[in-house]
Amino acid sequence: MKAGNSRRRLVDRVYDFVSALLGSSALLFLFMILAVLAVFSLPSLVVNGLNFFTTVIWNPGISTTLTAVRGFPAMSGASYGMLVFFSGTLISSGLALLIGAPLSIGVAIFLSMIAPKRLSASLSFFVELLAGIPSIVFGFWGLLVLAPLLVNVVEPVMAQYLGFIPGFGGPVYGYGLIASGLVLALMIVPIVSAISRDAMSQTPIELKEAAMALGMTNWEVTRKVVLPYAKTAIVGSLVLGLGRALGETMAVAMVSQSALNILPMTVYYPINTLSAFMAVTFDSALTDPSGMEISSLAELALVLFIITTTVNIVARLLVRRGFISSAEHLVQV
Amino acid sequence: MKMSSITNVKGKRRAISNPVVVVVAVVLLVLGGGIGYFAHTGSGATTTVTGQGSTTTVYSTTTVYSTSGSGTTTSSSEPALPASLPATTISETGSTLLYPLFNYWVPGFNSTYSNVQINTAGTGSGIGISSAAAGTVQIGASDAYLLPAQMNQYPNLLDIPLAISAQMINYNLPGIPTTTHLNMTGNILAQIYNGTISYWNDPQITAINPGVTLPHQIIHPIHRSDGSGDTFIFTTYLSDTNAWWSSHVGFATSVSFPGLATAAAYQGNGGMVQGCQQTQYCIAYIGISFQSNTEAAGLGYAYLQNRAGNFVDITQANIQAAAAQMVSATPPNEALSLVYAPGANSYPIINYEYSIVSKTQANANTALVVKTFLNWCIEPDHGNAASYLNKVGFVPLPSSIATLSYSQIAQIGP
Repeated sequence: MKAGNSRRRLVDRVYDFVSALLGSSALLFLFMILAVLAVFSLPSLVVNGLNFFTTVIWNPGISTTLTAVRGFPAMSGASYGMLVFFSGTLISSGLALLIGAPLSIGVAIFLSMIAPKRLSASLSFFVELLAGIPSIVFGFWGLLVLAPLLVNVVEPVMAQYLGFIPGFGGPVYGYGLIASGLVLALMIVPIVSAISRDAMSQTPIELKEAAMALGMTNWEVTRKVVLPYAKTAIVGSLVLGLGRALGETMAVAMVSQSALNILPMTVYYPINTLSAFMAVTFDSALTDPSGMEISSLAELALVLFIITTTVNIVARLLVRRGFISSAEHLVQV
Repeated sequence: MKMSSITNVKGKRRAISNPVVVVVAVVLLVLGGGIGYFAHTGSGATTTVTGQGSTTTVYSTTTVYSTSGSGTTTSSSEPALPASLPATTISETGSTLLYPLFNYWVPGFNSTYSNVQINTAGTGSGIGISSAAAGTVQIGASDAYLLPAQMNQYPNLLDIPLAISAQMINYNLPGIPTTTHLNMTGNILAQIYNGTISYWNDPQITAINPGVTLPHQIIHPIHRSDGSGDTFIFTTYLSDTNAWWSSHVGFATSVSFPGLATAAAYQGNGGMVQGCQQTQYCIAYIGISFQSNTEAAGLGYAYLQNRAGNFVDITQANIQAAAAQMVSATPPNEALSLVYAPGANSYPIINYEYSIVSKTQANANTALVVKTFLNWCIEPDHGNAASYLNKVGFVPLPSSIATLSYSQIAQIGP
């Protein structure tokens, strides 16, 4: 009896330990990644300083001789600025949100309000299937189908008819910005529409029936009951989608045209993003004998890490608070 | 006493999970730190490294042009290959330009030495150099030689030429047939890539292309977005021919290309072909092993001005003529740019394709296998035979260069 008890306690302790190990690993990996990024980007933080955040030029340097800058080896002529990649990341993700938001909310409204149950189920399946397509496939499609269409057909027409809007005037240089925005928009549709649909279908049936009893049309029910009820969750899903777009790498690397040392002045410019640039530059950065380019890439990673973490935390807070505050709002009404 | 402590523990199960988490955290941190440290410093070569991330590219297997002669003679310095080798696995990673050639070489080598497994991967020259330095692979492939600063950084590494490659300057000019080859100079290319020359009918371009009507269209200069030996040799040509480029941009596997709205960058030679095909009025630099792809894409290629001032075609004879000029200048460590060679017929953008190998391998068997494989690759009746090199448009090493490579290979040991 006593022996059996102590054995059970031992099993429990092992169980405790193992589950604590597994449970804590996610947090640990997060902090380890942060620690590694911080250590690797230290030389860049010291040598590049604030210039890193305010300059456009990314130049690993031309000389093969090393000079010491504030205690760290650096190639002469080297200068690292993140603005091209930072702005490209924000602009392409913003464009994705601009295009993707109406599309996904439309999908969600149709799936939760209009479509018959059977159609809704099968359509939802296909929308969620979209989320499972590897990003490289989106990239291929963007490069082989979308890009020639944009640069040869769509953009010249846009430049001609929308040229009066600042930023939309000719000449058509490339397709990088618009193609990245469109590909990213498609990639965030599944996540945004799935969460929005769930939130909308959680609208209490009593509210909808009451609204209908008051003589509201379907459109009015959607606009005045369902959308206000799901509002915060929809905003949360959009921010979550933004988080996805900010970190997307391969698809953007393929269609962005990898701009270097230049900021986009119109929508017809090539762009570059933090993650795409890191992915394609890592190889050559390894051959930089000063190690400064790797360090600067690590600092880019740190910037991206902070942006996406912030966006995701905001999104989780919004999604979680969404249902509660909407419900409270309705109770007050 | 013991009993009471257990009861105590049981009573405060929630409380003890905190110290457990702390212990787990410390263990994981130490483990992670240790792994990171060893991954960073490199702990010598291992014999069974697999799973390098590889890029898959579609390569043509058609013969690019006919052979005009092997260009090499069997040298007396050619080392004898052993009849058999111990069963060993070695790994190669790096240059995507060399990757297809390795995939022809390995089956050929295995037909003699069937118990040796060689894993190949096309990951880029930078990964090739850094993986060989870290000892995670035995053979790193690179289109670029080790720069002096890199040699200081990794004194144990050898850069051993395996073959000679060349580079085309391609363009997409609607209305000009691909059978018409524009003349192009490095100086003009540098001005196109820095934005000084922005139209195809610029006086500098029309002056060297009499009889060709060039359109008044914006030039789209295209370059590689990933680190590339092609960028290395292209920017070497620009640095050799244009003072501004030499002092402001220089040459490397990835350089800070001047920011132009008209410019664009793509990954890999395959991406360059695709990008140039869909961008009218572009200009691009693409490795010779993609010549059949550029022809299929309808891209033209230029005759380039060499040091003697002549505009030369990218024929095997002209590549060999350039290589022959550089033979005597090649130092024993074989780290030399072949770009912009002297000589009336020399094609200006050629390079040695390097294997980057550590002098000290993990053990005697690995060293023997690596040495035998590299010797086999270079020998004119094996890996440097036209049957292999013609598939990718490379030319064989001149015999005196092969001799230098053999003596470098002889330095590899356990």
